[in-house]
Amino acid sequence: MASTQHVLLSPAELAYLHAALSLTPPIRPDGRAPAQFRPLIAETGILPGTNGSARICFADGTEAIVGVKAEVERTRLADGATAGTEWEEGGSARGEGEDDDGGDKAGDSDWVGLTVEIPGYRDDDAGTAFLGAMLSEALLADGAFARRLWINRRFHWKLYLDILLISPPLSYPLPLLSLTTHLALLATRLPLLKSEGDEDPFFDDDWAAARHLYPRGSGSSRTTKESARPPVTLLVMAVGNNIIFDPAKEELAVADVALAVSVAEDTAVATSTAATMDLDDAAVPAARSLRLLSIRTIDPPSRLTPPGVPNAANSAYGATTAQNQPEARTAEAEAVEGVWRAPRGGAKPLVMAALVQKVLEKGGVADEVLDALDAVDLG
Amino acid sequence: MATSSGTTSIATPGQLLGPASKFQPGPGTHIHNSNLYSSLLGVVHASQPAKPPGPSKRLTKITVPTQTPAELPTLSVSRTGVSEKREVLPEVGNTVLCRVTRITPRQAVVAILICGDTVLEAEWQGLIRVQDVRATEKDKVKIYESFRPGDIVRAEVISLGDQANFYLSTARNELGVILATSEAGNNMYPVNWKEYMDPETGLSELRKVAKPY
Amino acid sequence: MSDRRRINGPVGATIPPASEDGASREVAGSRGGRSRPPNAIRKMYLKTGVTPSASGSAYLEIETSGRSGVSGLKLSCTVHGPRSLPRSSPFSPHIILSTHVKYAPFATRQRRGYLRDPSERDLGTHLEAALRGAIIADRWPKSGVDIIVSIIEGDQDRETSKTQGDESWDLMNALSGCITVASAALADAGIDCIDTVAGGVAALVSDKGDGNPSIVIDPIPSEHDRILAACCIAYLPTRDEVTNLWFKGDLPASDAELYTKLVEKGIQASAKANRVLVECLGETVG
Repeated sequence: MASTQHVLLSPAELAYLHAALSLTPPIRPDGRAPAQFRPLIAETGILPGTNGSARICFADGTEAIVGVKAEVERTRLADGATAGTEWEEGGSARGEGEDDDGGDKAGDSDWVGLTVEIPGYRDDDAGTAFLGAMLSEALLADGAFARRLWINRRFHWKLYLDILLISPPLSYPLPLLSLTTHLALLATRLPLLKSEGDEDPFFDDDWAAARHLYPRGSGSSRTTKESARPPVTLLVMAVGNNIIFDPAKEELAVADVALAVSVAEDTAVATSTAATMDLDDAAVPAARSLRLLSIRTIDPPSRLTPPGVPNAANSAYGATTAQNQPEARTAEAEAVEGVWRAPRGGAKPLVMAALVQKVLEKGGVADEVLDALDAVDLG
Repeated sequence: MATSSGTTSIATPGQLLGPASKFQPGPGTHIHNSNLYSSLLGVVHASQPAKPPGPSKRLTKITVPTQTPAELPTLSVSRTGVSEKREVLPEVGNTVLCRVTRITPRQAVVAILICGDTVLEAEWQGLIRVQDVRATEKDKVKIYESFRPGDIVRAEVISLGDQANFYLSTARNELGVILATSEAGNNMYPVNWKEYMDPETGLSELRKVAKPY
Repeated sequence: MSDRRRINGPVGATIPPASEDGASREVAGSRGGRSRPPNAIRKMYLKTGVTPSASGSAYLEIETSGRSGVSGLKLSCTVHGPRSLPRSSPFSPHIILSTHVKYAPFATRQRRGYLRDPSERDLGTHLEAALRGAIIADRWPKSGVDIIVSIIEGDQDRETSKTQGDESWDLMNALSGCITVASAALADAGIDCIDTVAGGVAALVSDKGDGNPSIVIDPIPSEHDRILAACCIAYLPTRDEVTNLWFKGDLPASDAELYTKLVEKGIQASAKANRVLVECLGETVG
């Protein structure tokens, strides 16, 4: 799996890294601040054959492309309903079940197909499946996304997201893939629907008239109930008392705990403040509040690192344990300062809570990332 | 919970056994925050140190005092009695019994069958390199004059080895081939330190013979 | 992709017809309700050593909610190893865990194939993360252990087939069961662990009756009107550490309290399952 790939660092290097990252403030190998992301190059609309696409290239050389393709698909009728006239009944029954504001515009998670391709890994690799599940879970968490794909009661868009890492996975590719997917979805446009009601859909040929999947910019679109931005997933880890964002591979190798946190902009607040926003359009991002969509623990590769040998137990330094004690290898010893030992166990619940809190706090990293992504030209 | 020596009780993984300052960790235990915890489901044993610390025999030799004070009792959790299946991993210094599976001019590949007094469930592969066959005249050792496929060998683990093999050595008198079959297919008996003899054909074959106890 | 070596069921699977007698219709309308207090888990049955040929094994059964048509969760876990790694794999100073979670083809409403699908692989990764934190990996260098969990019966309500999104919440319940049963099997196999790890699920649910969402532990999706968020936690009680946290849902970030409470409840659920686990392990020895 991608997160647990073997890191070629010696125990001494690991101990040094761990010590450097545990300082206050932490000293990262590439000199970044704890919450600083790696610089990246992003562009959208690079693939003319897709409904939306994006490419992001990180400074460390990892690069990802996401292409979004949409197809019209006939909606599978509710269970028990057969083709013909009965679809109407089935459709309305589900409408009642889905009692929220979306009315009968219920979406289905099957409408989104997400595949992740990591070079060098099999399609059915557990790590790839984990990444894919994590990204789609965040996308579908609020249930609002699938609703965007609703055309009418009989048809819907089927959205295929193909996420390709085109460089070797030098670092855990989750933040990269998430940001690229975010941009690609922002750039995604669906043809304008010209048909009405439940008739067979037909669309406007003019690509210029196509509407964005996530309408942007104007104040009116912000008043829509649905969230205006796709979610982003951030990778955050803790070493000692420090919280570090966007860890590089070497940093992840000494992590005590690593979490992937998915957040999205809160829409309910955007709606309620819409009245005030009309007064001053400039203050749009000020009122942003976030929603927590998903959290997953990433198995840190630090647990698979080779342990160091303290001088006291090293025969090169005069220790004579190996011969006399047959149990020398499994014998337990207290940790020695400066000698690397792979961490055991999990993380304290408080540490985990602090990680999540750090992501979500006002003016925190998630805010910053969303602002930065705002600046990307969507073409 | 075994806080005094002699009592035996059942421990589950993660169960507190006692402070690390009062006990020495044995197999099946681990230390966390200066406390000793069980890491296996099994029976707790507390053993007093075998050798009470006395004056060292050789006063001429200056030795570094051992790291752990020897008077602490050792706590261990063992699986004996809980389950007859007890998988152990060969460790450096263990004596193992193994069967020779393949020989090349440079090494003999063996399958480790018994480690200490435990029959292994899984099959672990070992390697006896030509320089580890005997202690003297190492340059004259020939593998095919020491082992043949099918022989049962008593050997000592000298290294965890590479990804596939444990490295074994027979460089002691009591180590070497203990059971051998002749080319005719008969069990042979050892005649001297380097020969086995077939009782039926009377022919002798060369082996690195383990000294009978 | 279908498996060509086996005779598979029909591709377009259909749902078995459920007879619609009046009573069940009524129940389906109100969809029952949670009969347990909000902080009680369902009763569970755990036994180790059920598969003699494996190094360690365990079986876990969680009771049904007591209504017809609702199946409980039945899990069986086998642990094979520690055993030597295949010759092609590189040297490892630690034990290599490989976890497989597989739904039996008949475990859920929708028939599953023999090949593992992405959601099962995903569960396997979660399980691996949860267990990796609990074992002492450096006790077994150069060895590997296979942990295979079969979900014999998924926790699914046949009558609520119309509701959507249930399936994804079921995964969390399944994962928490997988963690508990795998932990028992690991202890049975005699693999060094720092603690017994158990899984627990807590969810933020909203019921039709009252508008305010409330937090319950060990939720059954069919008992609640809507699940807003849920988390599955693997927790080591003696060390007070979490080895795996999986949260899913939709929570406002401004209300950090809600998230913290949810995690707390998840830990509580895990601790309750752990008591069963420890008791079961104690019984096998005594």
